[in-house]
Amino acid sequence: MREPKPLMASPPVVAVVSWLVPGAGYWLIGQRGRALATGLTIVVLFILGLLVGGVRLIEVPGWGDHGQKLVAFAEDRGTDNQGRRVVSERVVESGTSPESDGIWVMQKHPLDEVRNKPWSIAQILAGPIDIAASAASIAASHDGPDGRPIAARSHSHTNELGVLYTAVAGMLNLLVILDATHRAVRLSSAEDK
Amino acid sequence: MTPLAWTPFLDPIPVWANAVWPWLLVPLVAAVSIVYKSIKCRSMREVPREATVIAVWIVLGMIAAAIVLAGVVKALEW
Repeated sequence: MREPKPLMASPPVVAVVSWLVPGAGYWLIGQRGRALATGLTIVVLFILGLLVGGVRLIEVPGWGDHGQKLVAFAEDRGTDNQGRRVVSERVVESGTSPESDGIWVMQKHPLDEVRNKPWSIAQILAGPIDIAASAASIAASHDGPDGRPIAARSHSHTNELGVLYTAVAGMLNLLVILDATHRAVRLSSAEDK
Repeated sequence: MTPLAWTPFLDPIPVWANAVWPWLLVPLVAAVSIVYKSIKCRSMREVPREATVIAVWIVLGMIAAAIVLAGVVKALEW
């Protein structure tokens, strides 16, 4: 069989392309079998996760249970027993209470918000497919004509397994990004010699 | 209202029985094995065999861990 001629892509390009399309980094350096095996497996695993747990298993940092932005505002809680003013921060979904015109949590304390939804870090490594799933999750969280969210939220084992599938897909894509980039570095240094 | 009881991607898969949901670990094991061996193996021809072997080992390891943990729980209850 004829070996496909590798394109001379630089390692950073291979890394970015690997994130954009899982497995495509291998394709760029001419390893098409590896590209198809890893890319298809990662995408299928991510989609299976959405199928198992429903699209709402993707918890999007900065967005609440009803598909609205989470906003933080200072709430005046009166005075303590020494006469000092007590102000605490409250986080609500925008549009759900009269005071809900605060600052979006992703602007105010993004790290805390991402820390509240840690699986999102692993899931985003799967690439733009996670961004599309996040948009679908937000859209499906809005209330339908019957006053309930369009899509149901999963619980128990189905939620755990769905989250696990999507997060593992992201972590596997991280391995693939690192390996494809490493192979691109070796190829480019071999070419320099 | 959909005529289907389960709408794919909107509803979670209707699997609640304890005898059924552990089978959902099998596709996960298969995916991890395929990607891991695709990275490790020098030739892609080796991947199907190597991935099958490691997938079987992972499943056997999980079964062994489940048996040991069940034994520990029984011993603590006893």
